[in-house]
Amino acid sequence: MRPVVVIAASAVSALGLGWRGLGKAVREGGTSVTPCSALGGVLAAQVPALPPAQDVEPRQLKLMSRGARLSCVAARSLFREAPSLPQEEMGFFLGVGASGGAVEELEAMLDASFSQEQFELGRFGTAGLGACNPLFAFQLMNNYTLCHAAIREGLRGPNAALFSRGAGTVLALAEAHHAVASGECDVALGGGADSALHPVTWAELRREGAEGMVPGEGAALLALAAADHGQPLGFLQRCEVYPGRQGLARALESTRRSLQTLRPECVVLAATPQRREAARELAASVCPGTTFETAALFGEALAASASLAAVAALDLLRDGEVRRAAVLVMGPDGDVGLVGLVNEVAS
Amino acid sequence: MGREAFVRSVGAVSALGWDWPGTAAALARGESAIARVEHFDVEGFPCQVAAAVRGWAEGSEDRRREFALRAAREAWAQARPGASPERIGVFIGAESGRASFSTVLALAQAAGGGARFDHVAFGERARELAPRIDAAAVSPAAVASMLAREIGARGPCETLSLACSSGAAAIAEGVRAIRRGEVDVALCGGVGADVDPLMLAGFGLLGALSARGVSCPFDAHRDGFVVGEGAAMVVLSAERGDAVARVAGVGRSLDAWHLTAPDPDGVGAATAMRAALREAGIEAVDCVQAHGTSTQLNDEVEAQALQRVLGTRLAEAHVSSVKGALGHWIAGAGALGFLCAVHAVERDEVLPTAGLSHPDPRCELPHVQGTALRRRVGSALVNAFAFGGANTSLVVVRA
Repeated sequence: MRPVVVIAASAVSALGLGWRGLGKAVREGGTSVTPCSALGGVLAAQVPALPPAQDVEPRQLKLMSRGARLSCVAARSLFREAPSLPQEEMGFFLGVGASGGAVEELEAMLDASFSQEQFELGRFGTAGLGACNPLFAFQLMNNYTLCHAAIREGLRGPNAALFSRGAGTVLALAEAHHAVASGECDVALGGGADSALHPVTWAELRREGAEGMVPGEGAALLALAAADHGQPLGFLQRCEVYPGRQGLARALESTRRSLQTLRPECVVLAATPQRREAARELAASVCPGTTFETAALFGEALAASASLAAVAALDLLRDGEVRRAAVLVMGPDGDVGLVGLVNEVAS
Repeated sequence: MGREAFVRSVGAVSALGWDWPGTAAALARGESAIARVEHFDVEGFPCQVAAAVRGWAEGSEDRRREFALRAAREAWAQARPGASPERIGVFIGAESGRASFSTVLALAQAAGGGARFDHVAFGERARELAPRIDAAAVSPAAVASMLAREIGARGPCETLSLACSSGAAAIAEGVRAIRRGEVDVALCGGVGADVDPLMLAGFGLLGALSARGVSCPFDAHRDGFVVGEGAAMVVLSAERGDAVARVAGVGRSLDAWHLTAPDPDGVGAATAMRAALREAGIEAVDCVQAHGTSTQLNDEVEAQALQRVLGTRLAEAHVSSVKGALGHWIAGAGALGFLCAVHAVERDEVLPTAGLSHPDPRCELPHVQGTALRRRVGSALVNAFAFGGANTSLVVVRA
């Protein structure tokens, strides 16, 4: 197995486009929460409007869920920063959420399906279909969060779209790492893209108990390569997911052992409110006084949370703030994710 | 030799049977389950037929989980692997379920019901509507989580959402986890439960469904696919046991071409097939379970890609697609195709392509028509190609 390094990164978050500076923002405990009109004024960490040059072309927006749009923005940004990467053979492994279609489309479809105040499937098949944007289906399929970006950037290598509401991004990073380490491809993108700012997604999260949760969104990608490929930004030393089904105590104990092996100088923590105390306690037991939390900055960005935290940790490495950083993820899915990054000098 | 992934057992629920032996027997006879949809009113829909699982309990909110559970129980009961819970993983291909129509309507009406969607009104009412949405019924991950609980697995639990290649991609993940030593046993598979109004409408909007209501892969008269549903599961193990087959190769690629259409040159499809064959260490196979959707372009591109990849060795193989009989299971399709390939290797029997009566000259392949073909099968290739261009190929060989 070949050692794997990070050679490029990108992010789009509530702070806008770009990954440099995220480490400093996380370390300083900043916040980016504003009222979200899509959720009736709920405070959220939403990606601000991007300049047209950074955003997806307007004619493509009707094809995309919010997660797909953010994934495309992050991918384009990464290749602008690293234009020499071999896109055609590159692997692409992405943590994705349940793509929320535009609610306006669904409502138009349903609205046209009523006859004498009764919903009729017969009308749904005719008038309902006619009232809907024919491209609506593309917004609903989870794999398009990956495929839109692959098509735009010409990525043709091994791939997977891994669904999760927490540790999914860690799995995606782990798969990208394996693909490079095993030689399946020389370079692979790993990361996640998602949005909790869809009304149905937010309603689901509320049902599961989202007290104190700040809905968020974003996308972040790491380009991983064999160690002899280009100038490394850092080394990806560990990518692990401990299933919550084993019981939280067991998952936390496994994570603690792994963290102790990593010997991080800081822990970047992305934890959902219900698990935040347990996560803080774990981080503090391994790395006292140097835990930086992402919740107020990125919100609960679901499948994007772990990768946003990872690029923030990478930024801390690049700034020379730390030589070894851990990312600890405990999202609504109940699993515990761990990413270990070290800088090139320490390795 | 490193660790291998042996096929210990399989299970399925389909429109042709409540288990895999029943399904396989009907497929071997050349039967098709495609019929007019009866469980909801399809008047006005562009395509009014499907391969629907009949006799399912009314009022079931999430048939994905019920299909998957039944198929997994069938496979798991036969395999009875001895691994510890921490060494058992679950890898499932699934897309989102659908909220019930009453829920969808309530959500839509919460926005005021007027001509314009009122986000503010919707947001204010989200809390009171939230209890009406069963998150487990709509989350793709709900299927894998449920199966992990059912079999007591405490290892990795992954959900692959790659549309039509989800099931094959999930099996690929299970194979890799066994080879890497992360698990000793993997319950893998895929499930689709898309014979519902929203999906028939969605695929109808795309113009992807057969207007004639016929699924006939590689036929000259094909005009689109027919939606099917069901679950296909397999138990893979690092321990050989009494396994007859093993997964020898996995290949994955992206077309990076178009949202619905395949790359007309079939580059992505060929890349996935070649990678799987290379990993298996072979250049030819005895049979191919094709993706074969019955759409004009997909079948032609796949046929030509097969011709290029296998070359003159294609003449020694036989090719079929199960979608002629059971329709397109979307997230479950690749897993169903995998079971057909395992059947071929284990039983020396290649299942036929139902509905194929006039092979398209542009899809010149050694087809299996009518009923199953008895022949020696030492290796089989499985293709699963998704909307958006995510391709997975698997190679199954005699253990």
